[in-house]
Amino acid sequence: MKLVDHKKYLLEICEKVDRDLTSPTCRKLREHLSQCPDCAAYYDSLKKTIVLYRDYDVEMKGSRVKEILAQLDLEEPLHITLPAKHPDLHGDKKRTR
Amino acid sequence: MDDAKLIEAAKSGDKKAFGQLVKQYEQMVYSFSFKICRDKQKADEVLQETFINAYRGLKSFSGNSKFSTWLYRIVTNNCLMMHRKKSHEPVVSLEETDLFKGTEELQVAHWGETPHDAVLNKELKDVLDAAIQKLPVDYRIVFVMRDVEGFSTEEVGKSLKLSVPAVKSRLHRARLFLRNELNEYFTK
Ligand SMILES: [Zn+2]
Repeated sequence: MKLVDHKKYLLEICEKVDRDLTSPTCRKLREHLSQCPDCAAYYDSLKKTIVLYRDYDVEMKGSRVKEILAQLDLEEPLHITLPAKHPDLHGDKKRTR
Repeated sequence: MDDAKLIEAAKSGDKKAFGQLVKQYEQMVYSFSFKICRDKQKADEVLQETFINAYRGLKSFSGNSKFSTWLYRIVTNNCLMMHRKKSHEPVVSLEETDLFKGTEELQVAHWGETPHDAVLNKELKDVLDAAIQKLPVDYRIVFVMRDVEGFSTEEVGKSLKLSVPAVKSRLHRARLFLRNELNEYFTK
């Protein structure tokens, strides 16, 4: 089999790799894959590439809630000083601590 | 309390409510950040920055999208920005360079069995990290959002402000590139 014959399938393999090949529009590709071990191997390796990245996950060592809230607390004075320009907001007691 | 109530409370300055939201979504944000920067320390930085930005921008969250989708968008922006700051290289795009040369050649190879989830060893993890880090960050984001996290092409486009054809072409190149990078490992 000539490489050129397979090359046109390469793009299609790449585009359809995450789809269900049983759909009618994929018929030609499916047929080719069933007859061509090379393209089938390529299809398989492309699929595996995606699966490997999907399986590779990381867990956080510990929660960051404390650090994040502490950083937001540092910003608090900004929120308090802003209304100073708006005398009508001075009655807002919610922000005073 | 459900998300909508927590968000409303956080919008009016209730930090405890916001803390609840952080608790619920921090693992998701951390994991996504890691998948893009492939570095635990950077992922941790992005995580903290994401929630701080989220808190600041909470008023602009309309509830039209899911809160998680909104967070993904902030992570994406943070990763793009961090990359620009540190690398001084333009993010978009390496299409004219050599990076993708040869990826559209059919390099035939049979990989045999690849390991499954829990048994990914350190060596293979390093190979996966190294391969994806060679990709420009916008290609990385497209691949991770679309193929790893399962977002639709349209959603990825919205997040990155890219057209659907642009997302498709990046996805395509990223897939072929990564596959070729791993090919060496699995056929050596
Ligand atoms: Zn073929």
